[in-house]
Amino acid sequence: MSSLFGTMSIALSGLLTEQGALGITTNNVANANTPGYTRQRPVLIEGDPVLQGSLTFGSGVVLANVQSLRDPILELRLNDETQQHSQLDTMVSAMQQIEVMFSGSNGSLGTQITNFFNSLQQLSSNAVSLSARQGVLSAAGNVANSFRTTVSNLRAQRSSLDLGVGQTVEQINVVTGQIAKLNQQISAIENLHQDAGTFVDQRTTLIRQLSEMVDVSVVKSDNTLTITTSSGYALVAGDRSFAVTNQLDPSGVQHIFSHGADITAKITGGSLAGVLAVRDQKIPALLADLDTLAGGLATAINSAHRNGTDLAGMAGGDFFTPPPAGNVGAASSMAVLITDPSKIAASSDGSPGSNGNLTQLLAVQNQTVTGGQSPINFYADMVFGIGSDVANGSAERDASDLILRQLQDQRSSLSGVSMDEEAANLIRYERSYQAAARVITAISEITDTAIQLGRY
Amino acid sequence: MRINPNISSDLLAALSNAQQQQNTALLQMASGRRVNKPSDDPTATAVLIQNQAESSQTDQYLRSVQSVQAQLQTTDSTLNSVVLALQRAISLGVQGANGTLSDANRASVVGELSGIQDQLIGLANLTFQGQYVFAGTASQTTPYVADATQPSGVRYDGNTGTNSIAVSSGVNMQLNLPGSQVFSTPGSDVFQAIHTMIVALQTNTGADTAAAGLRTAFDHVTAQRVFYGNALNQLSSQQTYLNNDKLLLSQEENTVGGADLAASTTNLLSAQTARSAALSAAGRIAQLSLFDYLK
Repeated sequence: MSSLFGTMSIALSGLLTEQGALGITTNNVANANTPGYTRQRPVLIEGDPVLQGSLTFGSGVVLANVQSLRDPILELRLNDETQQHSQLDTMVSAMQQIEVMFSGSNGSLGTQITNFFNSLQQLSSNAVSLSARQGVLSAAGNVANSFRTTVSNLRAQRSSLDLGVGQTVEQINVVTGQIAKLNQQISAIENLHQDAGTFVDQRTTLIRQLSEMVDVSVVKSDNTLTITTSSGYALVAGDRSFAVTNQLDPSGVQHIFSHGADITAKITGGSLAGVLAVRDQKIPALLADLDTLAGGLATAINSAHRNGTDLAGMAGGDFFTPPPAGNVGAASSMAVLITDPSKIAASSDGSPGSNGNLTQLLAVQNQTVTGGQSPINFYADMVFGIGSDVANGSAERDASDLILRQLQDQRSSLSGVSMDEEAANLIRYERSYQAAARVITAISEITDTAIQLGRY
Repeated sequence: MRINPNISSDLLAALSNAQQQQNTALLQMASGRRVNKPSDDPTATAVLIQNQAESSQTDQYLRSVQSVQAQLQTTDSTLNSVVLALQRAISLGVQGANGTLSDANRASVVGELSGIQDQLIGLANLTFQGQYVFAGTASQTTPYVADATQPSGVRYDGNTGTNSIAVSSGVNMQLNLPGSQVFSTPGSDVFQAIHTMIVALQTNTGADTAAAGLRTAFDHVTAQRVFYGNALNQLSSQQTYLNNDKLLLSQEENTVGGADLAASTTNLLSAQTARSAALSAAGRIAQLSLFDYLK
């Protein structure tokens, strides 16, 4: 049979434990809106029993541990989906900025090309009209200008994406450094078989931030946590972090290095992958397309123009600047060579009034001079490509958005703080506390009775 | 199963979704277009770019047709004056060939014929917008000048070139006949015929042959004029065709890229309903927890 004071200490263990549990509930309520917070619950166990003769008596309750409720597998899924989502989101928003350059129906490259051919058609109804000839030159100037502007806009977009690469690399290093420090603290606590809840929460949040930037895979063994890129380059190993670096490539863009190796092409997730896809694939492909279009158009117009004669009866020269070999840089260097409207070689028979050569120049409009297509069809195909990149990317991003939200729902249903639950717990712990306190009062009275026993 | 206690992210997603649909519907209604950027419908965008190019080309063909029409009408009515002048020349020739005419009367007929010759030179030197119409492609050269060294007394300085113009994709139309073909084809040379008649009257011999020559020239010019009549007919039917084409293109543009206003309105309304439902649900749910009932 337990002694009175023994009973007192059981009641006391109840008081202290409920107090601890109340503290945990309060902490849950306080952190209800803290990002990455995982709800905690008290782990209560019975106190070691006391043997008295053949009887065992309980010795109260012990608050053994504070347990954070998280599902590590779910966290990994969330990391993966975050990488995917962030990559798509970055790519779509970069492509949307490019899309704008090809959206306007007026003043767009396609309109300018059509206007140029229209001006030639206008000239063909009066081949000697200087004003109509001037009209051709300014329409051609607009075409060249449109090409150059589009190229320089694309290049500006490319450099701003490139700037983002450097900033992301810096951020990655900051985050991996913090994770390494947390690893140190967490393993120290876990070695004592305690729950490192708060630190683990912080680390989980940081890993999520890292996943937004780059594709990482997380390996947990014993108490250490290793983070590598999905291509296997270590970023964090236990309490050490390994910085990624960036340096200018000969082509003028930032490349990313880890452990001395160029991993630029091996990054497959996170915002970095989205930025790199647009910077290294989409924009260069568009620039090459613009070169094909500008080069094909200029070459065809030039060769038709050389067949004619100008107002003075002289053979026509090049109309546009001849495109460089292989059309590399044709769009950025496109310019109208002719400045004197009388030099437009409209005539096919040497007389100024002839418009015969304009027919040849006009024919270029429907000839397959650019990548096996007519100029306007080639342009339409380009815009189609950009539009479908954005449309498909957005659709994939929306799907990923949904998956991410569902995963977050799942995480939240396990780890989120429910006010109702906390309120119920609060009542429970409060009542238990009150009961334990009442028990102490009762024991005190009993003890008092026991003391009074000898007074008679 | 424990339920996600934090519904605000789902709620926000639903709200932003409804907002997005609302904005899309509003943009479609305001712009009247379903396709406002390439990603709205990439295939339709490509079709629209080609459609816009074609429609702008069609507008340009229409402008060409109109400017060519004016030129051809002027030319045709000038040729009408030429035909009238030649008729007058023929009747003067018949008059002059009449043997009973006095020398003085013949001289006055000759005077009138020289006047017609000058008039014809003037008509053959017709300009339109500063260009000589009957000079072939040498449109800045005066095609006909009086030259006593020539058998007909008139020299042709133009060439035999012709211009043509596209009036729709792949359809080219000849714009002009060179003066050498209209006025000075050997055998039916207008100036030669009048010159021969003048000489015949002056020498009082061969007036009948000269009158026959005038008729041949008259028939030739009349036949050449048919070219312009045909061209004008072709232009006006081309104009009808181009206008139809424009209509079809703009119909296609509307079908492919235009907003379906009824659909947009419905979308707007349903987005608004969804949004206000989500909002009022959010307003109610977020208020309560068990804490509110603790006393």
